[in-house]
Amino acid sequence: MRSKIEKLYMGIILLFMYAPILTLIVLSFNSSKSRARWGGFTFKWYINLVHDNSVLNALANTLIIALISTIAATIIGTITCVGIMGLKRRSRTVLMGVTNIPMINADIVTGISLMLLFKVMHFETGFGTVLIAHITFNIPYVMLAVLPSLRTINPNIYEAALDLGAKPFYAFRKSVLPDLAPSVLAGALMAFTMSIDDFIITYFTKGSGFDTLSTKIYNEVKRGIQPEIYALSSIIFLAVILLLAASSYIKHRQNSLKKGKYLYKADRKISRGQAVALAAASAFIVILAMYFGGVFTRKNNQLFVYNAGEYLDPEVIEMFEAETGIEVVYDEFETLEIMYAKMVQDDGAYDVICPSDYMIAKMIENGMLQELDLDQIPNRKNIGEQYMEASRSFDPDNTYSVPYCWGTVGILYNKTMVDDPVNSWDILWDEKYSGQILMQDSIRDAFMVALKRRGFSLNTKDPGELELATEDLIAQRPLVQAYVIDQARDKMIGGEAALAVTYSGEVLYAQNENPDLEYSVPDEGSNVWIDSWVVTKKAKNPEAAMKWIDFLCRPEIALMNFDFVTYSTPNTKARELIEDENVRNSEVAYPGNDILKRCDAYSYLGEDGDLLYSNMWKKVKSGI
Amino acid sequence: MFNNKKTSRLLSSPYIVWALIFIIVPLGMVVYYGFTDKSGAFTFENVAAITSLVHAKALGLALLLSVISTIVCFVLAYPLGMILAHNKMSNQGIVTTLFILPMWMNFLLRTLAWLTLLENKGVINGILEVLHLPGINVINTSGAIVIGMVYNFLPFMILPIYNSLSSIDDNVINAARDLGADARQTFFKVTLPLTVPGIVSGITMVFIPALTTFAISTILGGSKILLIGNIIEQEFTLTYDWNLGAGLSIVLMLFIVVNMVVSAMADNGEEQDKKRMPSGRSGGASE
Repeated sequence: MRSKIEKLYMGIILLFMYAPILTLIVLSFNSSKSRARWGGFTFKWYINLVHDNSVLNALANTLIIALISTIAATIIGTITCVGIMGLKRRSRTVLMGVTNIPMINADIVTGISLMLLFKVMHFETGFGTVLIAHITFNIPYVMLAVLPSLRTINPNIYEAALDLGAKPFYAFRKSVLPDLAPSVLAGALMAFTMSIDDFIITYFTKGSGFDTLSTKIYNEVKRGIQPEIYALSSIIFLAVILLLAASSYIKHRQNSLKKGKYLYKADRKISRGQAVALAAASAFIVILAMYFGGVFTRKNNQLFVYNAGEYLDPEVIEMFEAETGIEVVYDEFETLEIMYAKMVQDDGAYDVICPSDYMIAKMIENGMLQELDLDQIPNRKNIGEQYMEASRSFDPDNTYSVPYCWGTVGILYNKTMVDDPVNSWDILWDEKYSGQILMQDSIRDAFMVALKRRGFSLNTKDPGELELATEDLIAQRPLVQAYVIDQARDKMIGGEAALAVTYSGEVLYAQNENPDLEYSVPDEGSNVWIDSWVVTKKAKNPEAAMKWIDFLCRPEIALMNFDFVTYSTPNTKARELIEDENVRNSEVAYPGNDILKRCDAYSYLGEDGDLLYSNMWKKVKSGI
Repeated sequence: MFNNKKTSRLLSSPYIVWALIFIIVPLGMVVYYGFTDKSGAFTFENVAAITSLVHAKALGLALLLSVISTIVCFVLAYPLGMILAHNKMSNQGIVTTLFILPMWMNFLLRTLAWLTLLENKGVINGILEVLHLPGINVINTSGAIVIGMVYNFLPFMILPIYNSLSSIDDNVINAARDLGADARQTFFKVTLPLTVPGIVSGITMVFIPALTTFAISTILGGSKILLIGNIIEQEFTLTYDWNLGAGLSIVLMLFIVVNMVVSAMADNGEEQDKKRMPSGRSGGASE
């Protein structure tokens, strides 16, 4: 009876632990890219994975970092634990306190503090700095696993071994280590797992052009995960299970060969042969890592590109590389603000970036961009005149930027759930739709909705107007289901919500997955935005950057990107090439002048303006 | 080695140097940022900002949710640790590994999977509907965040508790029973005190990451619930006010001190318990 209850209890906890894993494995076979809808069974993500170099590269980095940092942390941590036992109580407490700091601190503080250190010490960020960071936060996990069991070990045995003439290390290896081995292994396993799982510390210490699996996923979480990642995670998971099964089988065989408890215990000792093998393996990995570390230092003919997540067809990169012989290092950012923070830390990290209007103005004002060499970008002529004209609001002489995508902000709604006409932002304050509304989790877009609804300018810096908008947003808060960025798309496809503030570029894709969805730009007006390519002031390879921009302006390339991204292209030649007439003339992708007339672009608010908005936004988010 | 001060120092010195460079010095930089303004002048403002309504609410909520999560984790993990330690079968290594295994799938992916499970039209509600049971409405609430915290940090509670439970000598338990203690007394007087180091480890490993998380609250709370971790993250990545972010981090770091004191107290208590036990274990005390 008791064992049945025990089994049931374990079963429930295991179910709790494994339900999400099962979900992810199921999603890896989902032919729809959206996590919210089952589109049928497919193997295609597994097949795509083989060709996806960026994912495979990130996987290699993850594993190498995890292996080396685990071995280093386990050795340092175990030795330190033994040392600590003999220290005075006070020094031991202080040292343990210091050790706990990386665990106790918010990851982001640990990450930022290390980043500051690396900057002051002029370390080149990349493989080496990530490794140091991982060793640092892995050591506490090893020590926390080893220390408790070291305390329960009776030191008299060790003393006895010494009395009987054993050398200290030999005595330790024979009398202490065997009992310690399980916890050392547990600590190492924990360290390895933590290393694989970490993302934020890696994010701040990695520099440009170096990604682990988790920083790659982090970029994609809000936008919707590339299904290849589900496939890869499922494979890793399966591999680990197989490995465990194999090792348990071997252990089982050994156990049935040797009988008796004592022999079983001896089995847990690490034999000399195993120790040599372990040492050889670590040496091999270190050499491998140094080789890879070399790969990530900057080479001559490389171009560092920084773009929003899933905002370019990966095939375009391959074509560009094949044609020009320039190697592209492609990184993705999650929000413009994160991109900006990164550029302030290291202004030479990227050559060419794709930010939005107001951010471009901010970067121009702060001297972070260089003027384009227009002679090298002849294909710029393919960009429609109206978009160049619109760009003047943030780039007055059209000298810094070339438009890449554009669109409006509006309301995506589900026809089956909304029976009122959607032509005013007011509907987002309608109690009828309480819990059915998704708001944008970005400062400017959220305030734009509230400001436009009251008839104010979306670039206002008037504290009174902002105060009113803030009050409105706080009043709206109980009705809002969630504040999201790109997740709005998946949630709307899955029928989770009735109304969502969203970018026009998401609409074509969403309607494809769920035909009940409609899009509307409210009568009070809205925001029209442009994302453009710019070249950084400190770019190390500006010629390649110009070539890159010119390449993207080719009609057939712009079309490839449009098909992949589904955001409206300002490239008139590319638009003419769109085969599907409904898409080419879509009111959503290419709104008429009557709609554009009531839409404005964001302008840069200045440092004070930014601060004013962000303080108000914090109030909205916390509901005070 | 255990008593030789020279060897002890020698063994712990490499790590002390490492900790100095990669823990203490960077921390000093955070403190520097926290106590200066943008022009580099000394100020208390960044730290004092915790008293503002928004920040204080975020901290309070984070404390509440992480305490709840820690308690839930402990209540779930201790019986499980006992079951695991009790069943000394040949595959006990596998059983333990079962609880770490999920961590091999990226933490963000797993948290995202909970979204698919918990949503109003998600998997769990779908199953409930088929069974004609009332649905749950937990997504985008504090409840969902607690589920996410418990899910992500439960292994950190299970492992140290299991480790210390399984290193208890059976003879100690048997002796207690022989001397007339009933099951309850054995548990409270012998088993529980012996596992205090494991429990303290577990609580540290659950409470702290839960307190400082921002990813879980963002994904499962629909960004509607702001924890102190979210605020700090926003100061560094969104608002780009490192001084304020560092100042608030310093406040958070006070919990290191609290944790140190609590651990030291537990350490103390444990060693005194050992001294009271006539089993000779007190030989381990270094003083």
